[in-house]
Amino acid sequence: MATLLEADNITFSYDKKGPKVMDGMSMKIEEGKKTAIMGCNGAGKSTLFSLLNALRKPDSGKVLFRDKPLTYRHKDIIKMRSEVSILFQNPNDMMFKPYVEQDVAFGPENMKLPKEEIEERVQESLFAVGMEEYRKTPIMKLSYGQRKRVTLAGVLAMRPSVIIMDEPTAGLDPQMAYEVMEIAEQMHSSGVTVIMASHDTDLTYSWADELRVLYGGKCMYAGEPEPFYSDFESVQKAGLLLPTVFMMNRTLADLGKGSLEPYPRAQSQMALKTAQHKDVDLGVLHVIKAERDTDIKAIIDDYQLGGMPTGVYGMSARMALRATSTDVDFLYNGPENCTMKCLNGQDSVLICDPLMFDKAVTSAMFINEHGFGKINIDVV
Amino acid sequence: MSEIFRLEDVTFTHPGTTRKVLNKMNLTIEGGSRDAVLGMNGAGKTTLFYTLTGVYKPQEGTVYNHGEPVDYTRAGLQNLRSDVAVILQNPDEQIFCSLVEEDVAFGPLNLGLDRDEVERRVSKALRDVRMTPYARRPLQQLSGGQRKRVAIAGALAMNPKIMIMDEPTAGLDPQASMEVMELAEKLHLQGVTVLISTHDIDIIYKWADTSSILYNGKIEYSGPAEGFYSDPETVYRCGLLTPSIFNMNRDICAIDGMDVDPYPRNCCEFTAKFGNPKESGRLVCVAAEEETAAERYEEVMKDLKGVQTGVYGSDVRYALTDNGIDFRFDAMDMCFTDAVRGKDSVLFYDSIYTPTIKEQADKLRKIGFDVDLEVI
Ligand SMILES: Nc1ncnc2c1ncn2[C@@H]1O[C@H](COP(=O)(O)OP(=O)(O)OP(=O)(O)O)[C@@H](O)[C@H]1O
Ligand SMILES: [Mg+2]
Repeated sequence: MATLLEADNITFSYDKKGPKVMDGMSMKIEEGKKTAIMGCNGAGKSTLFSLLNALRKPDSGKVLFRDKPLTYRHKDIIKMRSEVSILFQNPNDMMFKPYVEQDVAFGPENMKLPKEEIEERVQESLFAVGMEEYRKTPIMKLSYGQRKRVTLAGVLAMRPSVIIMDEPTAGLDPQMAYEVMEIAEQMHSSGVTVIMASHDTDLTYSWADELRVLYGGKCMYAGEPEPFYSDFESVQKAGLLLPTVFMMNRTLADLGKGSLEPYPRAQSQMALKTAQHKDVDLGVLHVIKAERDTDIKAIIDDYQLGGMPTGVYGMSARMALRATSTDVDFLYNGPENCTMKCLNGQDSVLICDPLMFDKAVTSAMFINEHGFGKINIDVV
Repeated sequence: MSEIFRLEDVTFTHPGTTRKVLNKMNLTIEGGSRDAVLGMNGAGKTTLFYTLTGVYKPQEGTVYNHGEPVDYTRAGLQNLRSDVAVILQNPDEQIFCSLVEEDVAFGPLNLGLDRDEVERRVSKALRDVRMTPYARRPLQQLSGGQRKRVAIAGALAMNPKIMIMDEPTAGLDPQASMEVMELAEKLHLQGVTVLISTHDIDIIYKWADTSSILYNGKIEYSGPAEGFYSDPETVYRCGLLTPSIFNMNRDICAIDGMDVDPYPRNCCEFTAKFGNPKESGRLVCVAAEEETAAERYEEVMKDLKGVQTGVYGSDVRYALTDNGIDFRFDAMDMCFTDAVRGKDSVLFYDSIYTPTIKEQADKLRKIGFDVDLEVI
């Protein structure tokens, strides 16, 4: 895989006399991967992001984007920022305009795009975050969670190739947190490289391909999560803790209940790995791959899928759903909710964006592949 | 148990708006239990807290404090608030002074305490949130999580009788989140009424005895969390999720035909229930104070060379920072889990936590696992 963004031996301090917040930081971010950045409070995650995005300039060392060092010339910076977009920790730090639609249009306008293109992007981004009705609302009147969504729409409207999210779910209720994660997954499915800082160990463990851990101004670990979590001393030193399922899985393996690998990363995977009876009838997971114009109601009727617990996942599925009068039980966290129904012996239906299919069946596939149970996946 | 707060048919609408954020709400908060308030963004948790502390006066209904209707005169409110400390969701709304130590001292100084006492409290509170090295730093120069820690220190320094924590762990790193829950447990054992609102359902599920669910201006449910989580449709309607350990327990029990009760709430309980553990490892729990911890450590470890160690509680953690402790955070669960998998360990803890340790051992016994526990 190609390296997309790179920090090469960076040092940085906020003032000359102050401590070095970056002290020989080197890190590569690979294209197309989901990378989680972790580290204790004050470890420098937000600072690193501002350096990667050219909001700040390192005291020494380089930031490289597509193997080229940043020049920090105004023109280059504008271009770079249209490709590398940040969702800040605090949404109030990135609201630029008084009204929702103006705020979302701000980035594309700076890119000097044609009017129609801007309009199209604004509409689509606001739909993606579920804030269409708020187009003309003053930002002042929005709640914290709503502001977070508007800033996310602003990021989407840039159509970046890298999105950096600084604690995107902090302060959001579980429902909104899953909505934000779904949007991140959607972007990833369409080829965007996603970088996320988060303190939610369990969430990042189930989400990330790659882990980067910051400590003492350096990157202390780069690689897959499991080797890092297997070294408890380092985990503790970095201010972190073990993911719940990782710790459970290890303890059960020690007790002779199953092997350490394969590592379950989500709750349904852990549950099925732990259960004794591998031959119980689990429910069928019906997956409807829905494009924007798919007639969902007709499919549900044709295949007699009405009345089952139903979830939705991904943008085209949501758009298709809007055009029908189908009842949906799970408007968020669709894949895990539907899989859980199957674990309890019930059939379920997941209406899913075709781009997101692999993600939607990750847990069911894990369970099937390793013989922890059998969930029939019926693709409609 | 005594009643600390009671809401009777309380209705509150923010001035200039029409939505009844609290709509004939009834709720009783009793002293002595670990209370959690859950609800989706906008459900009114923060409004509820402001109503309890008299900042908002309901348009209808009555708020009682210790059985008496809240007195909204200046003196009355001052009286109420001298008992209550609130940690706000957004630390930036709670910053009074520009330097960290001045900010933490603001509350205690307002209580009219003398300088020495204020200084003592401030340094203890900053230590408890591990922000001592930042005492003389301006707040604007801190990271998001560091600011949150300062806000928590400010509330601790008030020595309140009632502690209301709105999203206390949001933005904190995993270890700091554990410490905050440890502090909440300590306050609880000291007889402080602790009320926590949070979106982190996995963390709060481990701790709370009583969960109150806010939905549509009312209390949808109040009681042990399992009663609420067993009804997935309601959970979903309220915009919430069930804790992952609750789900796993339910699914495994359904497949293997086991009883869902007793419900495991943390790792040691989960692995005890599903791991068919054999012989327990030996768990030595050593109660200590800040002054005695180092001495106790020497004494106990003489005979237990090489055994893994953990610390629980800010005093002991502080006293033993240089002792090469193996589990510095979340150590209670780590040590009990090790006992489940047959490994020995020694847990040094602030002596106030003795009941918590006994409770954990009792819970494991209910699951069918006897910990080889020695409390000294
Ligand atoms: N504007 C500033 N001026 C001076 N020092 C700062 C400033 N912003 C941050 N710092 C310091 O730089 C260090 C790194 O801060 P940063 O915000 O990057 O951490 P973080 O990893 O994002 O933390 P958190 O998890 O709390 O968000 C901290 O020690 C902080 O106190
Ligand atoms: Mg940060």
